[in-house]
Amino acid sequence: MSRPLGFLLLMLGLGLRLDSTWQLLASLLIVCGAVVSGLGLARGRAAFVPPGDTR
Amino acid sequence: MCRPGTAAVAIGVIGVTIALALRGIAQTPIAGPTGTGGPLIGPRVRAWYRGLMEPFEEMLAGLGVSPDALTYAQLVVSMLAGGAFAAGCLFLAGWLTILAGTLDILDGGLARRAGVASPRGALVDSVADRWAEFGTFVGLGAFFRHDGTMLFVVALAAFASQMVSYVRARAEGLGVEMTVGRAQRPERYLLLGFGAWVSSVTGHLLCPLLGYQTHVVLASALIVLAVVATWTALERGRHAAAALRAGGTLP
Repeated sequence: MSRPLGFLLLMLGLGLRLDSTWQLLASLLIVCGAVVSGLGLARGRAAFVPPGDTR
Repeated sequence: MCRPGTAAVAIGVIGVTIALALRGIAQTPIAGPTGTGGPLIGPRVRAWYRGLMEPFEEMLAGLGVSPDALTYAQLVVSMLAGGAFAAGCLFLAGWLTILAGTLDILDGGLARRAGVASPRGALVDSVADRWAEFGTFVGLGAFFRHDGTMLFVVALAAFASQMVSYVRARAEGLGVEMTVGRAQRPERYLLLGFGAWVSSVTGHLLCPLLGYQTHVVLASALIVLAVVATWTALERGRHAAAALRAGGTLP
């Protein structure tokens, strides 16, 4: 669950950083998102591969 | 304000995400027919995304979340996307549009998984979808309010998107099964969401060179959306008329 959460935080952070004046919140979200996504990618099953049957 | 550095980081994140997604799609077996006339997003990609959503459906079902709650959440997120478009926050608007599309897929899946799929739920979902689309397009109209041509394109895209769903509902009400259609809702969400994302990062990257933020990518995505949605509505109308003609009198 950490990968999608990290991606969500990253996207929100980047969106706020690009298009808003809430730069502090944006930076916080980007850092949190990067850490959470990184942890998710570093361990566990391959990202974006469904848990069911694969070829 | 121009933020080319952040835009470059965003491109990197999205690029890695797309690469990982393509790897996942390549490992997913094809499920469903692959003939012509079907949606632009093929059966393999649809099967892959449904597979990705399964753990979430399971988790939400375990938590006792009702499908209606997801439907209403999708409506709220779509309205927020419209607000973000109106405020010129294109990257955020694109992300919210994709999130709304994901919630739209999740609510049906959750209803089927929890065994609570019903005609009432289908009605609430369809009505909420129309309002959600309306909310997003109103925001796009507000964003392009100073450009008469783009305002017309937004109006056409909004009308055609509603017509795609209306023709299907009317045809199915008359007993014609309607599966054809190139630009169904997932295609429209994807086109609009990615169009806004790419437009935002392109605008920020080119901003130091041009001296202003260009929105040509979003405008192009909207033109494509208007054309394919109009085509899909006409295609469905032609298909329904042919089926009714072949079937004789109405039920």
